[in-house]
Amino acid sequence: MNLHRRDFLKALGLSSGTSAIGACGIDANRYMTPVENVLPYVVKPDQVTPGTPTFFATSVLRGPHAHAATARHRDGRVINVGHNPMAPGRPSVSTSELMELQKHYSPDRLQAPQADGAATTWEAGLSTLATAVREARAAGKQVAYLGAYRSGALVELIDQVTEGHAVYWEPTGYEAEVAAAEALFGRRTLPFYDLGDADYILSFGAPFLGSWGDAAIEDRYALARDPNHGHGIVRFALVAPFRDQTGVNSDDWLACAPGSEVLVARALAARIASDKGVALVGQLAGGVTLEAAAEASGLSVEDLEGLVAHLTHGQAVVLPGGASGDADLAAATYLLNLALGAAPGRFHLGGYAGPVSGWSELSALLADCKAGKVGVLIVDEANPVYALPDAAGAAEALKAVGLVVGVSSHTDETTALASLLLPTSDAFEDWGDEQPVAGLRLLRQPAASPLYDTRSLGDVLLATARAAGLQAPEGSLGFAAPTWREYLAAVWARDLHQPAVDGAFGDFWEKSVIQGFWQGDAGDVTPALVAESYAWADAAPVAGDLVLLTHAHPLRKDGRYANQPWAQEVGDALTGMTWDSWLEVSHETAEALGLAPTGKQQRSGEFPKVSVTTDGGTVELPLRTRRGIKAGIAVLALGNGHVAAGRYADGYGVNAAKLFALAAGSLGAFAWRGQSAKVGDTGTLVKVATTYSNYDDTDQGRQFGMLVDAGRLAEHGDAPAAHAGELTGIHHLELDSRLAERDVEGFYTTPDHSTYRFGMTVDTNACTGCGACLVACYAENNLPVVGKGKLAEGREMAWIRLDRFWETAPDGTEQMAFVPMMCQHCGHAGCENVCPVLATYHNIDGLNAMVYNRCVGTRYCSNACPFSVRRFNYHTYHWPEPFNLQLNPDVSVRTVGVMEKCTFCVQRIRQVKSAAKDGGNFTATVPDEAWRQVPACAEACPTQAMTFGNLNDPEGACSQSRKSGRTYEPLADIRPLSAVNYLARATFHGDPTAHHGGGHGGGHEAAGEHAATHEGGSHEAPAHEGEAHEAEGHEMKDHHEAGSAH
Amino acid sequence: MHDTIDPNRPASYAAANRDIIRVLLQPNLGWLALFLTATAAMIYGGYCWYLQLTWGLGLGGYNPPIMWGIYIVTFVFWVGIGHAGTLISAILFLVRSRWRTGVYRASEAMTVFAVMTALLFPVLHLGRAWQVYWFFPYPNQRYLWMNFKSPLMWDVFAISTYFTVSAVFFFIGLVPDLAIVRDHSKGLVQKVYSVLALGWRGTGRQWHHYMAAYGFFAALAAPLVLSVHSVVSWDFAMAITPGWHSTIFPPYFVAGAIFSGCAMVITLLLPMTYAFGWKDYVNLWHFEQLAKMCLLTSGILTYAYGMEYFIGWYSQNPYEWAIFSWRATGEDYAWAFWVMVTCNCIIPLVWYFRPLRTNPVSLFVVSLFVNVGMWFERFNIVVSSLAHNFNPATWSYYWPSEIEWGIMIGSFGWFFFWFMLFLQVLPAVAIAEIKEMIAPPVRGAVEAK
Repeated sequence: MNLHRRDFLKALGLSSGTSAIGACGIDANRYMTPVENVLPYVVKPDQVTPGTPTFFATSVLRGPHAHAATARHRDGRVINVGHNPMAPGRPSVSTSELMELQKHYSPDRLQAPQADGAATTWEAGLSTLATAVREARAAGKQVAYLGAYRSGALVELIDQVTEGHAVYWEPTGYEAEVAAAEALFGRRTLPFYDLGDADYILSFGAPFLGSWGDAAIEDRYALARDPNHGHGIVRFALVAPFRDQTGVNSDDWLACAPGSEVLVARALAARIASDKGVALVGQLAGGVTLEAAAEASGLSVEDLEGLVAHLTHGQAVVLPGGASGDADLAAATYLLNLALGAAPGRFHLGGYAGPVSGWSELSALLADCKAGKVGVLIVDEANPVYALPDAAGAAEALKAVGLVVGVSSHTDETTALASLLLPTSDAFEDWGDEQPVAGLRLLRQPAASPLYDTRSLGDVLLATARAAGLQAPEGSLGFAAPTWREYLAAVWARDLHQPAVDGAFGDFWEKSVIQGFWQGDAGDVTPALVAESYAWADAAPVAGDLVLLTHAHPLRKDGRYANQPWAQEVGDALTGMTWDSWLEVSHETAEALGLAPTGKQQRSGEFPKVSVTTDGGTVELPLRTRRGIKAGIAVLALGNGHVAAGRYADGYGVNAAKLFALAAGSLGAFAWRGQSAKVGDTGTLVKVATTYSNYDDTDQGRQFGMLVDAGRLAEHGDAPAAHAGELTGIHHLELDSRLAERDVEGFYTTPDHSTYRFGMTVDTNACTGCGACLVACYAENNLPVVGKGKLAEGREMAWIRLDRFWETAPDGTEQMAFVPMMCQHCGHAGCENVCPVLATYHNIDGLNAMVYNRCVGTRYCSNACPFSVRRFNYHTYHWPEPFNLQLNPDVSVRTVGVMEKCTFCVQRIRQVKSAAKDGGNFTATVPDEAWRQVPACAEACPTQAMTFGNLNDPEGACSQSRKSGRTYEPLADIRPLSAVNYLARATFHGDPTAHHGGGHGGGHEAAGEHAATHEGGSHEAPAHEGEAHEAEGHEMKDHHEAGSAH
Repeated sequence: MHDTIDPNRPASYAAANRDIIRVLLQPNLGWLALFLTATAAMIYGGYCWYLQLTWGLGLGGYNPPIMWGIYIVTFVFWVGIGHAGTLISAILFLVRSRWRTGVYRASEAMTVFAVMTALLFPVLHLGRAWQVYWFFPYPNQRYLWMNFKSPLMWDVFAISTYFTVSAVFFFIGLVPDLAIVRDHSKGLVQKVYSVLALGWRGTGRQWHHYMAAYGFFAALAAPLVLSVHSVVSWDFAMAITPGWHSTIFPPYFVAGAIFSGCAMVITLLLPMTYAFGWKDYVNLWHFEQLAKMCLLTSGILTYAYGMEYFIGWYSQNPYEWAIFSWRATGEDYAWAFWVMVTCNCIIPLVWYFRPLRTNPVSLFVVSLFVNVGMWFERFNIVVSSLAHNFNPATWSYYWPSEIEWGIMIGSFGWFFFWFMLFLQVLPAVAIAEIKEMIAPPVRGAVEAK
């Protein structure tokens, strides 16, 4: 065959071309990501602009926890919860609000009605309910409701449907406080504590920075801790047997015997009342002497005298007890506040006034159930089967009810006993309103259409009432409203709408929906004593060598968030422990029990497994020693140990509630009174996944955490330090003078940031360790939850590590410094130089950027990071549906083998910049106000501890805040030029008698003598300014001594 | 056994040809057992890597801040081993050290295979090993380029250059011997060796060019011996991690590499010599010289270890001092530190006694200790420095997982797979150079000097 060269080439081209095309056709989908078409909207929905978030004002939480929030909405789904900038109060997003978001997308949600475990239709389910209600009424039986705290219009509807047989109960709720208020002031309401103007706080264990989840009080506390705020720094004293996450924020801890708090409070009230001549208070407090209180509590009379001196000196506020505090303690603290003259400015009755049922109501309901008096029981997010000790017989009571209807959006131990499940829409899908404090009403609107076949509880009740032919009381709104939304609007029209002021109701309603709240007159909230005598219960301290106490876990609360992976994965603030329950005792107690962990056990995160036996039963769990617990006390948090609450809750930890005896406390209010417990060794070790290193709970003098003297700070405020280390006592290596003379920054050039240099200041004095920043980061940045097993291997993905260091003040007291440690976005970053493929680099805005797609996973950057803040994807993690719907579309989901870390929420930075450009600002830099709370962590922080900003703007809040004398930069000696600076925590260790940081009277001089010192007193700060300018060599030596003091 | 240690023990050219070639392509049971063991280990390591590729590096024992573990430890270990061969073949050639002749071929082979083994680890320790080509400066439309500031990048070039040069040098040295094998074989085998021998006929002109090329490559390879491990040491010295960030690292690493390499040569060649009955060509005199090299470098290492502590104290850098004191006294890894000190600084001291460095048992046993000690030296540097980084809130503990041990064992399998194969197909002693040491078979011959 005669083949010409050209023909050959043609044939070659044709054949190779076709084979290449063929190969593409066959293989494209095998090896590449499946093709998905991106199509634009033909008709764009009004509220959706692709690529930009929409915000809906709402209230995610209910009852006393309610807080104005916004739902951040993208492409038809809620991806995050933010603060509502229109509402009163500073920005804040509590962990609970974020947990509700994750609950919204929980794979364990009820998706459709169920009858006796089988799927059914809404029509059938509602008809069953209506029939049961009709029959119950006909038979003279109760139609009862059992739920968590609810307020607003829904309460009215529930009360009408149940004819008042409604119980609103939470296991670690506020019934003691409410009962005490009723006894003293004749009003069933929670007091409102305004800490903003206080200069002294005495708490008997109230978790006001933790599981109370009260954004307002945390915000006001932060203000009181702010050295620039008029009064200087508030001094916080704690009288309690142990320090919880709130308690470690205290400046003074008086470890009292459990159960003796009430005597201390009464003694203080009686003493101060008699000093000040407030006769009625003294009479009510009932003549307990300081000596008697001292003997019962194990404190010294001098301690109590000291408290009296502090309390009477300035503007003090007294807070009640924690979960184990009973109504008598609440009453005693109210009296103490009255004796101090805190009312009505700092203490008044403007708190939550919604229904708070007591243990007496709940036990009556359970008794009625057992007696067969209840025909229908509607259970709404209350979980008595789990939360009550078994002796309460909640399960038996439920079994004796004609029809138990579960109307929550999730299953739990209680709804497992319900024969009919009517899943309701949750806070993101429903209308509603809340009254968290007097004079404020929050309006909730649906931010997304229901994920599943759910209906709103209001609609269920209205439909049931109509179908069962119930009669509403005269003058009420009745059940005629066709939908819950219209019922709600009718309530607002009746109660809140003032035509003369607000105009037409339509306009008022629209405005209210948009801004999400209504604010009006709080009414008379003055606490006026109506009681003339008070029957104090016998306050015998709990007997026993070892007393078991409990508290609500700051993240999992009373157990309601145990099935949220974030609540399990984020480390406990004090121990870093996750996915478990553990018994906390002091090291001395563990030694006395013969269970002190060896160094090796402790380091490897293995803990002795112990059995804890009380009258209520026995559980086995790991034993963890930590500081801040009185000898002879064991602490076990509530919230874990579920058996039917979902895949992330069941089987993790133990249920502490079952260890407690069922005994109504004073005034019939339930209290988790201390139990005498026996702890036995099982002889085995158990590994608990922790997010903190177990090597040491201090920073070994490396100045990651820092204390400064509050008295001295008060003189100084946050004015710039006169010389480096004036307040902090830190002397970094000074730049070589020869370089400084030539105006050379150092060996390496400082990166050039022409427009922006983003940075953050973290105020460790304001940080309370609540963990909201961490959870917000999980939500915003698509951080995977790795689970218990992988976390135990050290695989956690949190971009913020909440470092906690115990620092010892010169007077020997132990103070906690919480140091949220995220990527420091160093100017001279260790990580950037070592990456072989330039996956991490310094961008023009000063961000240490990370290109996930370019990363090959050498992990060299992590090794070179002096802060160890980088996280590595050891595996590809998956989000079980529908968790994937919560993923933020602005942030890539990372896959196996890729390094990641904090980006300062670069996606939000881009949004702010883009918004500025959309507004026509193409040249000028975006002003500082727009930046302050941009990262998710800074937005969430309830105490505003994080300030973000452009460091190139010298007048910006972030630049200004780091001029403070409290500023320190961890590891500044190695010159990372971090973009994150910290402000030292102020404590009163320099002067135990200083009443607060206000520089009043005697505290002033004393404070001056005690210069700020670092822990252990190994490092004396210069008393004279001249010494600060010593030779570099000496300063370096100084530093070393501080570092090696341990 | 070997009573005489005479390097110039008279032997004939024919005997040399016969003795060395005799062992080729004659797999006996012992060889087969070793070879199959190595292959099995290699396959097991491959399987472990397959698992790791499938599930991610989470199968390892890493946990922050300890992000490098025994992959990097073993990588540095093998790179270090890979230093002895070229040192012996190139530097000792340039300085005309006679004792190199007997041992250099096998040492060079060891070097090539050790570097081949080391090269596995930078790939298989990656989070995304399938993207390893991003380390190379290939032209692409996305303008993606590498970071030439990164010591890992320097590694890529240093080690690939070293591998290329030592492999070429190894092959050049082989050419005359391959021709001898060719001439002593038949059939297909002869054809294969003919191709490998590149037409070598041993003419004067060929020898002239050959020696020029050999000298040139020796000169090229010699500085690489010093540079490669210096670059590897910068992987650590350039990061600011306490315990890594030290200017002493390059000389300290090079000395350690030569130390471990020479010890490995003893470990490998001593059994080989006895198994093949090559006492006429490689004998205790050679091993004594290697032991002396080890003694010298052991001394340098001991000095370097001490100097790290001295500088840690003298600099008054708290992080530096903390890591070094913790390394020696801390509960987690102090045992590894003392294993290192014992094996590298104390046990080799027995070689100061001549009877012990000329005794095959003592030579072999001590060399094994040195191998272990040098692995632990890298373990100490890599792991303990990371475990106690700057921030006490992150301190952690690392212990390798089964997968990591599997891959490490697999790397030994891979190395011995090649080395055992080498013993069967290539002359493990340089025949042509041995002949230079033998008195020429001429009338009235005098002893070669």
